[in-house]
Amino acid sequence: MAGYFLRRFLLIIPTFIGITLLVFAITRVVPGGPIERMMTQAQLGGETGGLQRSQGGGTLSEEQMAELEKYYGFDKPILTGYALWLKKVLQLDLGLSTRYQDPVWQIIRERFPVSIFYGVTTLILTYLVCIPLGLLKGMYHGGRFDGASSAVVFLGYALPSYVIGIALISLFAGYYDWFPLGGFVSDDFSELSPWQKTKDIFHHAALPLIAYLAGSFAVTTLMMKNALMDNLSTDYMRTAAAKGLGLGQSVRRHALRNSLIPVATSFGSNISLLISGSFLIETIFNIDGIGLLGYEAIIERDYPIVMGILVISSLLYLIGNILSDICVALVDPRIRFGGGVH
Amino acid sequence: MALVSRLLRNPVARKRWQRFKQSRRGYISACLLILLTGLSFAAEMLASHRALVVYYQGELYFPTYGATHSGRDFGLDYAYEVNYRELKSQFANADEGNWVLMPPVPFGPLETDLIAGDFPPHAPSLTSGHLLGTDTSGRDVFARLIYGFRTAMVFSLLLLGFTYLVGVAIGCLMGYWGGKFDLFFQRIIEIWSNIPFLYVIMIVASVITPGFWTLLLIMAFFGWTSMTWYMRTATYKEMARDYVMAARALGASGSRIVFRHILPNSVSTLITFVPFSVAGGITSLTALDYLGFGLPPPTPSWGELLKQGTENLESLWLVGSVVTAMTLILMLVAYVGEAIRDAYDPRKFSFYE
Repeated sequence: MAGYFLRRFLLIIPTFIGITLLVFAITRVVPGGPIERMMTQAQLGGETGGLQRSQGGGTLSEEQMAELEKYYGFDKPILTGYALWLKKVLQLDLGLSTRYQDPVWQIIRERFPVSIFYGVTTLILTYLVCIPLGLLKGMYHGGRFDGASSAVVFLGYALPSYVIGIALISLFAGYYDWFPLGGFVSDDFSELSPWQKTKDIFHHAALPLIAYLAGSFAVTTLMMKNALMDNLSTDYMRTAAAKGLGLGQSVRRHALRNSLIPVATSFGSNISLLISGSFLIETIFNIDGIGLLGYEAIIERDYPIVMGILVISSLLYLIGNILSDICVALVDPRIRFGGGVH
Repeated sequence: MALVSRLLRNPVARKRWQRFKQSRRGYISACLLILLTGLSFAAEMLASHRALVVYYQGELYFPTYGATHSGRDFGLDYAYEVNYRELKSQFANADEGNWVLMPPVPFGPLETDLIAGDFPPHAPSLTSGHLLGTDTSGRDVFARLIYGFRTAMVFSLLLLGFTYLVGVAIGCLMGYWGGKFDLFFQRIIEIWSNIPFLYVIMIVASVITPGFWTLLLIMAFFGWTSMTWYMRTATYKEMARDYVMAARALGASGSRIVFRHILPNSVSTLITFVPFSVAGGITSLTALDYLGFGLPPPTPSWGELLKQGTENLESLWLVGSVVTAMTLILMLVAYVGEAIRDAYDPRKFSFYE
């Protein structure tokens, strides 16, 4: 099994190269990159200023073009450019942002605390809410509680989290003014007492957290419920019932542990959410995390940052997938990976 | 219906269809969804600045589709296209037996209707006729909702067609040929499915500013893998069954085994994924439009309305109407999905107490 996971970790390398090469090539090949944009801007400028100049002008001179291309590393063929970029990444150098002229890694690192705060809180809340809810729904399937909670679960299931986020912010922040209109903390944050600071953070975080929670809430709850119900109809539960064990006790002692297995499989995919967050929710609530940074970088064509975020989020995603499998193997000793079965 | 009855000759399919119909909620949702989609294809008759019927001097005109009528055609003093709403009130005032029948929503999706003395977005009101108000350019929200629904639905159905076609073809070949071909595409799928989907599409869309078909191709390009993976597994499963061996022993060719035996047995379960793909298509298109990387303006779209709504939070009707519409459609789709899944896999639970 150790060999299996070692192989999985080694497979990260080709996959990582594939992803980054693909996106690197896209940012290079497709027309409209930074250089072309500067060209058109220069051309537009040239046309308006063309009255003064008798002829020529308009486009950038050959020298300027070459200089620009060299500055962005666009003067080399794609594969060479990619190799140079990859070499720098391996030396933990993600390059300089074309917008701020700061190291990309430093810019991304500054956004980590915000994204990690939301990621960790969402993760804890999801499991705190979904596991008990799923258990109750499974144990009293078809009952009044199950029916009443089904409506909420189904709403969360059908609607994507960003729509819920937009609905929340326009109703409770825009119309009723109960919550702030986004941001992570208030402007006077540094002057508040520690207790007020905590309150301020959660006052800002309430709506985004509900939106984040809505994203994974329904799936995890239903997974928990279905897994429990599968286990409730097994032979060992019949044995437990025959011995005279009550429903609560037999669930707690027997069914619960087995029902947690599928929930454990989803743990790893939450890792990438932990840091890279959601572009949409961070954009909606104007939260200064990594998602918003990526969105702005794309709009501003700040490719070093775009690639830097891609590196981090894809690495997290790949490692998260493997962590999922390790979690499964840990909670379920019956599972043997690498037995040749796909 | 003919198609349904032909499919129902298969007893397993008939049983599934009956189970699907028994789930009232899912069946009614499916009917409603088909009805709404059908209606949206006639959106020009539901929301348009052109009249449905004009009766002028003993003749009937149907201006909805076809050439534009100039004002002179109806005895007005201008040569550009008739303003049918004005024409209607003029005919009513003149009382010469002429009349105009407007669509239920008498505004087009691209038509700006500015109200004097007020800046758009205009609030919903009965007097102006904008039942759901207007957006920031003074365009009717209801009309844009209807056309936006059509765009989203057509988009996600086409996307579904593309991804399923590619997925079935490649997945089936992976399962059937196996070996190097299988290994090669396994790696490709591994790379593809690890790409942060939305992020990469945002990058691509920001660079090339896509139109409808380009956006469709980009999304299909990144979204074909899950179906391929499913088809590969299904094909492997079917390949191991005895009837394939029997067919091979009888001398059936490779294409015959694939098309007559494996595909019919594995494709039918793909239906269970269709509602989720439709919902996924609608939500990702709306998300891209919301972020400004989707269809180019002035295409009516839900995401663009959402964007206007979040930029003008005091105009609650913008966000309100889109969120209501999305909730309605996505709930219907989810109900259908649930019913189809139950029809394919009826879960019977037993309790021991």
